[in-house]
Amino acid sequence: MTLLTGYRRTNGTWGVRNHLLVLPARTAANRAAEEIADAVAGAVAVTHEWEGAPGDRDADLVARTLTGFATNPNVGAVLLIGIDDTDLELAGAIAARGQTVQLLAMAQHGGTAGTIAAGREIAARLAASIAEQEREPMPLSALAVGLECGGSDALSGITANPALGIASDRLVAAGATTMLSEVPELVGAEEILAARAINESVARRMVAVVHDFERSVEALGVDIRGAQPTPGNIEGGLTTIEEKSLGAAKKAGNAPLTGVIEFAAQPGPPGLYVMDTPGHDIEQMVGLVAGGCQVVAFTTGRGTPTGSAIAPCLKISTNTQIFERMAGDIDLDAGVIVTGEETLQSMGDRIHDALLEVAAGAPTCSERRGNREFAIRRTHY
Amino acid sequence: MLGHRRPDGRFGVRDHVLVLPSVVCSTNAAQTIARETGAVHVTHQHGCLHVGDDLRHTEGAFIGTATNPNVGAVVVVSLGCETIQGRRLARRIEDAGQRVAFVGIQLEGGTQRAVAAGRRAVDELRALLDDQPDEELPADAVVVGLDRPHLELRGALAARGWQVMDAPEGLSAAESHVALAGAGAQVIVSVRGPGEAPLGFAVCPVVAVATDPAMHAALHDDFDVAPGSVDEVVERVEATLAGEPTASERRGARDFVLHRLAVTM
Repeated sequence: MTLLTGYRRTNGTWGVRNHLLVLPARTAANRAAEEIADAVAGAVAVTHEWEGAPGDRDADLVARTLTGFATNPNVGAVLLIGIDDTDLELAGAIAARGQTVQLLAMAQHGGTAGTIAAGREIAARLAASIAEQEREPMPLSALAVGLECGGSDALSGITANPALGIASDRLVAAGATTMLSEVPELVGAEEILAARAINESVARRMVAVVHDFERSVEALGVDIRGAQPTPGNIEGGLTTIEEKSLGAAKKAGNAPLTGVIEFAAQPGPPGLYVMDTPGHDIEQMVGLVAGGCQVVAFTTGRGTPTGSAIAPCLKISTNTQIFERMAGDIDLDAGVIVTGEETLQSMGDRIHDALLEVAAGAPTCSERRGNREFAIRRTHY
Repeated sequence: MLGHRRPDGRFGVRDHVLVLPSVVCSTNAAQTIARETGAVHVTHQHGCLHVGDDLRHTEGAFIGTATNPNVGAVVVVSLGCETIQGRRLARRIEDAGQRVAFVGIQLEGGTQRAVAAGRRAVDELRALLDDQPDEELPADAVVVGLDRPHLELRGALAARGWQVMDAPEGLSAAESHVALAGAGAQVIVSVRGPGEAPLGFAVCPVVAVATDPAMHAALHDDFDVAPGSVDEVVERVEATLAGEPTASERRGARDFVLHRLAVTM
């Protein structure tokens, strides 16, 4: 079995990658961040739609998301591109979590061009500094894996999702953390998960997040069936959100449910968690990574190239056709369970081993392709 | 002064091929296509799991951006399973009178093939646009979007015979740029106050006007006009119409921020 190795961080966490993250604090800094990261080996950037207007009621949620993302243990250092002193607050929140962060304020460099020039030098220095760190044997208890599905089809709940559940159970049994998410896709499966909760309070919380979601949809006065299942899900053979949910929940195997946490929040002691995220693939992935997941396992029936800038995303197809059609975008094929080439158990073991190999440094398809989708979750309109 | 006459009679002051992802999942493919061909592209985080008014509004924002008169042709890049179906989006853009090509990642069989198809589509559309001769730009075909109420500026711009369009109320600056572009503005005049850094937009030049001397001094490279002179704003808009790049175009800023009406599912 692969020896798990990683980068030991001074705050006690462990990264499985060692990125320099160039993070724009606000939309107006997107361009500078992109250009700086493009020019420096080892640097990655994300861009986003957070303008940071005074009084925006999503400010706390966005700050938690950006802070969590920037302090994911896969990030060795952060170059925060800000506009002015207003962005010191975000830099401070990132530093308070034990992350190396340098704020570069565009207002001190005359705008984008000057910021890029100064930022390249700083980024090159930070990248060189973190590159000196080497991998060491890493305890499994320091690993958190996100469990995601996107573009599900009728095979999701039969092949890739239960196989990932087996992998998740093995990881949890060995002391690691896994995180299920996408609350809209747990509608109808909440009681099954609640029955596995480690105590009554976690069980109540599990049921509550699903019911809160259902109530919020009712309050909107819309029919969720326009969005869930998606047109692609329906074409793939799924008929209702409940059917989709029962398949989606299988990603979490049979392990006890240790906790239910807010979007982009950090889990407690190792175990299986549910994070309150939307079903949207990218908002969800950002939430999981901001919550500390160093690796994301992502099952797909329709096929997607999705990845994160800072966390390897291991994609697993539910059917062989899409694995072959989208060569180079998907890492593993669980469709072979249907043809009998693998059993659920043997496929689960393969996924488990692949997750550890990825954690130990093997690149995923999305890393090779440079997929770095990012999204800011908003809740106020 | 020359412009690009569109089939519906409007004029573009730029002649972009726009690579438009129908969903966040195809933004990487769209960006690769744009970078390899010199087309403009939009990066956004939307297109999936919208409901109700938010769904219609988001699709409308995509269509509005794609049919701005500065856009001569569009390549819609779809994943395939998204809520705002790329194929339908492309058809609706076409129905609005725009030239469109469609590329689907799931349809083509992965990112690599989709990028190759997208590159071919951009090249073909670019050649088509380059074949069209420029025509004289009539003053009454010019629509200048103003992202914040400013009576003096409004009067000075209107005095040149240009239509001046105000942004809808209640939007942030970047959100209002999407709305103004969707309503047909070829140039956006962005009035920036204390603490507000200049923004850009993928398909429209943004003339960034400072009203705060300290902000202008701190970010002078990203502003087009210093505080004080309304005449200078009119001159900058005139030069922009004539093809001179704004500061936002020089730095390649494409800030797309969508005003949402409901939470993502």
